[in-house]
Amino acid sequence: MTSSDAPRILSYRAALREALIEELQRDSKVFVMGQDVGPFGGVFGVTKGLTEMFGKNRVFDTPISENLIVGGGVGAALAGARPVVELQYADFALIAMDEILNKAAKWRYMHGGGQAVPLVIRAPEGILGGLGPEHSQSLAQYFWGAFGLKVAMPATPADAKGMLKAAIRDDDPVLFLENKSLYNKRGPVPADDYLTPLGVAATPRKGKDVTIVTWSRMVSVSLQAAELLAAEGIEAEVIDPRGVRPLDLDAIGSSLERTGRLVVVHEGPVTGGIAGELVAQLVETRFGALKAAPVRVAGLDAYVPQNIELEPLLTPDAQTVAEAVRRSFARQPA
Amino acid sequence: MPMTDEQLLNAYRIMERSILVEQAILRFIEDGDSRVLLHSGRGQEAIGTGACAALRDDDMLFYSHRGVTQLLAKGISLDGLLGDFLGRVGGATGGLGAGIVHAVDAAKGLMGSSGTLGGGFVMSAGAALGAQRLGDDRVSLHIFGEGSANRGTFHESANAAALWKLPMIWLCENNGYSVSVPHREATSVEDVADRALAYGIPSRIVDGQDVEAVHEAVAEAVERARGGGGPTLIEAKTLRIRGHYEGDPQTYRSKDEIAAARLRDPQKLAAERLIARGRTEADLADIRAEEQRLVEAASAKAMASPKPDAQRLYEGLLAPRSVA
Repeated sequence: MTSSDAPRILSYRAALREALIEELQRDSKVFVMGQDVGPFGGVFGVTKGLTEMFGKNRVFDTPISENLIVGGGVGAALAGARPVVELQYADFALIAMDEILNKAAKWRYMHGGGQAVPLVIRAPEGILGGLGPEHSQSLAQYFWGAFGLKVAMPATPADAKGMLKAAIRDDDPVLFLENKSLYNKRGPVPADDYLTPLGVAATPRKGKDVTIVTWSRMVSVSLQAAELLAAEGIEAEVIDPRGVRPLDLDAIGSSLERTGRLVVVHEGPVTGGIAGELVAQLVETRFGALKAAPVRVAGLDAYVPQNIELEPLLTPDAQTVAEAVRRSFARQPA
Repeated sequence: MPMTDEQLLNAYRIMERSILVEQAILRFIEDGDSRVLLHSGRGQEAIGTGACAALRDDDMLFYSHRGVTQLLAKGISLDGLLGDFLGRVGGATGGLGAGIVHAVDAAKGLMGSSGTLGGGFVMSAGAALGAQRLGDDRVSLHIFGEGSANRGTFHESANAAALWKLPMIWLCENNGYSVSVPHREATSVEDVADRALAYGIPSRIVDGQDVEAVHEAVAEAVERARGGGGPTLIEAKTLRIRGHYEGDPQTYRSKDEIAAARLRDPQKLAAERLIARGRTEADLADIRAEEQRLVEAASAKAMASPKPDAQRLYEGLLAPRSVA
């Protein structure tokens, strides 16, 4: 559902905040907890003013206790609440892996479908500028094998709002990865009450020559690359699956059937990354459609340095994406 | 407050049911009908029985891996539990075969169990938090072994539960062993209950073989929790009669120690109390015979249910419907 109203221009941060406010208003079962999300408003400002609006019972600070934040969220969800918990940085998900992978993701399954975990785990991920190796990772690959978990990664303010609302209403646990570099990005956000379905791809740019699959911060990078390529006569189609689980393989596959060329772009490291597995699946199922070897464009196999001059060299930019697309044209099958 | 005659009789009944269910499971294993790993709660039956007698149906229980008695005391269906040990679709988890740790029944407040030891602390505190934020008066009970109290999750949960005055009861079954490691070689204090001091919460140590002592301590904690008084840590000192799991050679314990544990069988202690209150051995024999029939009927019903096929592997990974 999209709005016919004149779009408002909001930041990604403001769009997320609006989603939280609307869902807190709509459903008294929703509550928000995490480190510094209370009166301070969150380290990235997403929950600013919410404690004042909804009271300490609905929006509150937790101790520095990531196992409790996630595991407590799972338990509260089992008790009938719809918690939205915030991990201050997505890197801290690694502290709470038992709670995310063994509890949130598996509880429904291992208890025979007799329990639901309607939990949202918000976690700011990715490079922002100088935050270093333990506060900058993009680590969706660790959760791609969590079959009972959804992993949402919105690229635009409109998606941030619509997807967060959908995540809160979802009966499955959702890991909601917000890319820190997007918080200040502004874009149109419909004024009406809309939901953006999780796991349904967007196509921010249509094109006939090559399919670029990408999400989160890399969507705008890939769109810039598509502009560079258009000047050279290559029309790239950009598919944004809006996250990686569930993954809209139908949309990706049908684009690939039309273009015959595949480039997968993500911020996290290339080794063990999602691009490799996605390429493998598409080669297995759509080999006949491929005119060239697929290409992965992703973070280098190193950790995020604190040095802000080195940091941008770690992840793809428009030039590296465009160059990868050109390589896909150079590599013809034998 | 001592248990009423009716409560004590029911406790005796639940203990008998638990003993018979574990015997049935051991027979299934011997006959090749079941290939599960059973963590027997033999010797520890008074704890789950006494505790659950102090709960309402809608109070929430996160039980332990040694949880057959706990599940039965909170009201799991017999054929559901047995069916799961047999890996049948009629089992409590629909044939996944993990009933000892993963049987649930929302209507009975059976919330499930963490397979990773110590994982239940944060989950159960979260359930208490959920009840508190939803504004209802349910309480959350977590039963765990003393070994798992050494996980960091215990600290995170105890701190938050004390801070937020969560309606939470932690009930430690201290049987003296973390699998094979004696308590003294794994834990810095003799009494797990001492740790309550660090969080400013009340604690109790009770004889875990005495169902009335456990019931009394849990009932007091439930009253406090329901009234907004916050969490309680109860340590029940108990004795494990069988191994950590079936097949455990128990080379780390003396035969005398195991024999001594048998002398403090909680069901025998409950029987003595009932006799002292004027019940006869014949009354108790009737209960045992009734339970025998029930467990046999449930075993037959469970066995009649089909085994799952490969499609079962994919069922229940996600909710059947998506909102958006």
